[in-house]
Amino acid sequence: MRAETLVITSESRELARVRAWLGEQLARRGLDSHAQSALQVAVGELTTNSIKHAYEGRAGEPIHISVESREDSVVIQVEDFGKPFDPSRYRHPDLDEMNESGVGLYIVKRLADELTYDLARERGTRWTLVKYQAGTRPRSA
Amino acid sequence: MEIEVTQTGGVTLVVPKGDLDMGTADQMKRTLTELIEKGQSKLVMDLTGVAYVDSSGLGALVAAMKQARAVGGNLKLCGLQEDVRSIFEMTRLIKVMAVHSDRQEAVASW
Repeated sequence: MRAETLVITSESRELARVRAWLGEQLARRGLDSHAQSALQVAVGELTTNSIKHAYEGRAGEPIHISVESREDSVVIQVEDFGKPFDPSRYRHPDLDEMNESGVGLYIVKRLADELTYDLARERGTRWTLVKYQAGTRPRSA
Repeated sequence: MEIEVTQTGGVTLVVPKGDLDMGTADQMKRTLTELIEKGQSKLVMDLTGVAYVDSSGLGALVAAMKQARAVGGNLKLCGLQEDVRSIFEMTRLIKVMAVHSDRQEAVASW
């Protein structure tokens, strides 16, 4: 199945559209409802980060979300063209604290089998999330 | 997001319907803050009608829970769907928030 891309603008009302589109894409690629739900949360968090941090709340800026099937996995990319993610500012949340913020990326890391980011671009960040089909995750992943 | 608020005994029952994300978290936070400021700090939230919660939604609930506890109340949850529950487990909020299986149990726990 070929890669599909959804282009949205940086507004929170777009998040429901992302969830609906992604759910449909993942269902067509054979993922069960729990895997769909987990990836909807993960992609929602990355998209929220693009709106809040990359574009600092500015509306009307582009965010690209793509889904691609591979033999053993689904690969999802979330790409913005705003302020790049700064890994030096990421702090693993202390889960013994009752956090009101700062757990979004932690949730993504827990839900994805692999999560990488590409900052070697003119602007913005491209996140790549990999979810392996049950029983196909490589030992190193 | 639709948020229904009713009183049962001395407990305020909050029943949201829809997704709790960045777009609705502020509405949820405002609703809960207004209730607590009016003295309705014994809160039960039935999440049966919520199929999606993200970190923004969790943040709104944690903020309200802290605010309620600071004045002697609490925000107790019930009716978590399986996928929503897994987010609470992942962030360990399931351990620090009062989570009940259903509305009757949550209300009775007050």
